[in-house]
Amino acid sequence: MNTLGVYLIIAALLFSLGLLGVLQRRNLIGMLISVELMLNGANINFMAFNRFLAPDPTVGQLFTLFVMGLAAAEAAIGLSIILALFRKMRSINIERAQQLRG
Amino acid sequence: MMDFFKDPVLVAAALGSGLPLVSMAVILIFTRHDQRISATISVGAIAISWVCAVYLLIKLWGAGAAVQYQAPWLIADDIVIPFGYLLDPLSLLMLCIVATISFLVQVYSLGYMAGDPGFSRYYAFQSLFAWAMMSMVIAPSMLQLFIFWEMVGLASYLLIGFYYEKYSASQAGKKAFVMTRTADIFFFLGLIILVLGFGDLGIIKMNEAAQAHMLPPYLITISACLIFGGVMGKSAQFPLLTWLPDAMEGPTPVSALLHSATMVAAGVYMFSRIFPFYSQSAEAMSMALAIGTITMLLSSTMAMATYDLKQVWAYSTVSQLGFMVMGLAAGGYFAGVFHLTTHAGFKALLFLCSGIFIHEYHTNDFRVIGKHGGRSLTIPMVCMTIGALALSGIFPFSGFFSKEAILGVLAQHPNKLWLGAGLLGALMTAYYTFRLIFFMVFPQGDARHAAHHDSAHGHGHGEEGGDHHGYVFWSMAVPVMILAGVTLVLGFSQSSLEHFLMSTVPGAHGAGADVQHGGEHGAGHYMLLISAVSLAVGGIVWAYMEFGRKGAKQEGFLRKMPAVEELFARRWYLDDLLRKALDRLVYAGLTNIFTRNDRRIIDGGIDGICAFTVGSGRFFSFMQSGLLQQNLLVMIAAVALVVLFFLFS
Repeated sequence: MNTLGVYLIIAALLFSLGLLGVLQRRNLIGMLISVELMLNGANINFMAFNRFLAPDPTVGQLFTLFVMGLAAAEAAIGLSIILALFRKMRSINIERAQQLRG
Repeated sequence: MMDFFKDPVLVAAALGSGLPLVSMAVILIFTRHDQRISATISVGAIAISWVCAVYLLIKLWGAGAAVQYQAPWLIADDIVIPFGYLLDPLSLLMLCIVATISFLVQVYSLGYMAGDPGFSRYYAFQSLFAWAMMSMVIAPSMLQLFIFWEMVGLASYLLIGFYYEKYSASQAGKKAFVMTRTADIFFFLGLIILVLGFGDLGIIKMNEAAQAHMLPPYLITISACLIFGGVMGKSAQFPLLTWLPDAMEGPTPVSALLHSATMVAAGVYMFSRIFPFYSQSAEAMSMALAIGTITMLLSSTMAMATYDLKQVWAYSTVSQLGFMVMGLAAGGYFAGVFHLTTHAGFKALLFLCSGIFIHEYHTNDFRVIGKHGGRSLTIPMVCMTIGALALSGIFPFSGFFSKEAILGVLAQHPNKLWLGAGLLGALMTAYYTFRLIFFMVFPQGDARHAAHHDSAHGHGHGEEGGDHHGYVFWSMAVPVMILAGVTLVLGFSQSSLEHFLMSTVPGAHGAGADVQHGGEHGAGHYMLLISAVSLAVGGIVWAYMEFGRKGAKQEGFLRKMPAVEELFARRWYLDDLLRKALDRLVYAGLTNIFTRNDRRIIDGGIDGICAFTVGSGRFFSFMQSGLLQQNLLVMIAAVALVVLFFLFS
């Protein structure tokens, strides 16, 4: 069970679930969480390849740390945008934000 | 530069032709607000020009060969077009005529135009006119001639439309401009053909090459016919003759200048300028002969039906121009030029006299002037009668000699039809001329009462208008008297002028019809002389019976034929015909095509581009739903497609 393939499948599942969430959730917070899921799927990939294939064990972990930092920053910016949006239209439903429709 | 000053002939030519331009520039730039200074400058400049012209004529009287000064101006491969001066008997004679008439007209205008708000402008344009005409006269190449030919057209446009606030005046100016311009297109085409076929536009070279049969005859015929188109416009030949009668909308002195020495004379002058060239093409000559004849007869009939003083003279100008063209086209180089000379004198005289009447009575209708006692103005009345006698061709006035010369040439022509037309023209000329004179001299009815009206009228005009001894009157009367004197004596200079003119023009003998002048050739010529004079006298007597004698009804034979009178008065419907042709050809034809091109192709093309842009914008905006997740989905689908593509290729 402890092979690369298993990890990759888990990561792919996680990424797909995240993608599904981004595309399907109408709640902005939910979409943000789904994006975090996708990032974590990618992180698992990094760690798996690092564990099974890479000669130098630190590179993948470094990448993962970077991605986590990035995700934190992204969450901060995303939340502040959501807040601003909420102030403007008293809702965080993405379907209400359709001003750019042609 | 030193050579320039050492040669008095060159200095005189440059000074004479250039000074009016300087005066125009000075007037327009500096002295527009001071009428007195403007007039002084202009009259002074033209006076110096006149002195230069007379000096040149005297200096080169016996010179024989033509004097030519030129510098290359336009150089393209083998074609060199020079600018400069060509002084030969013809140009010297014409230069003198132009300078004299311009000078007299400008002096006359001091009185006629006094008090006009556009006085300075008037003198600036007069100077422009004189400059353009004199430079045209002494042009050594056809291109230079053409350039100044157009300048003459411009100047006459400005002067005909001088009272531009008046609608009819601005219309007349436009009409003159457009009509002559239309004809000039043909002139220019002729020049282009000449350049392509011969490669030189020098007048002397052209004439010599044509004489020496160095040019193919078809080339001469085509270019000569096209160039004659320019003559038709400028000299108001059929069918472009209607602009000239309308051109009387300008001030009367302008008409005098326009009808005698400048604008219309330019066409005939150009014809005689390249006469040796023309005489090599029998086709072009017979076309010119036919057009001259038609013009002469048509305009004579028009003159019978009008009651406008200036218009009668305008029609007579057209008919006399036709007569000159006839003379030239029949091979009478000297006869045509001589008639041009004498006509310049007596036609300027007639117009300037009419100007005095019009200035006095404020009407152009000679019936009204006669009723109001026009004959009490003795000086202009006598002078006008002298001019009228000259116009009718009565001995010893100048018109007699030149008309006889032309008729003599026509008699030499194998086809006697032209001679008959010429004699008929002489009869009609005498008739319509004296119809006018008798209306003015022998008014029927209450002439006595009108004499009082005259003095009242004069005072109303202005402080000097009614005073027949004032500055205004004399500045108008003196030029008139000078011209009357010229008209009396000019005819007797025929043989010396002929000798002078024929001395350097070998080409004039080229047409086969050697030029004859009056009275030297046998009984046939005396017969002609007698018949021409008796026809002229007959015309006068006819006019006297209808208009002059006591108790005459003053109606004329035309009144009995209203349809014919209408035809004559409406100018043979020439204007309507031209109008219709213009409507059909230009408005309905060309303009329509251009409009359609504009609407359909250009507008349509732009509209199509706009519609496409709008349509595609609609389409793309339909795709832009504003839903964030839809955009994301499309993005991911695209990425997935790219991935699939790379995986399976």
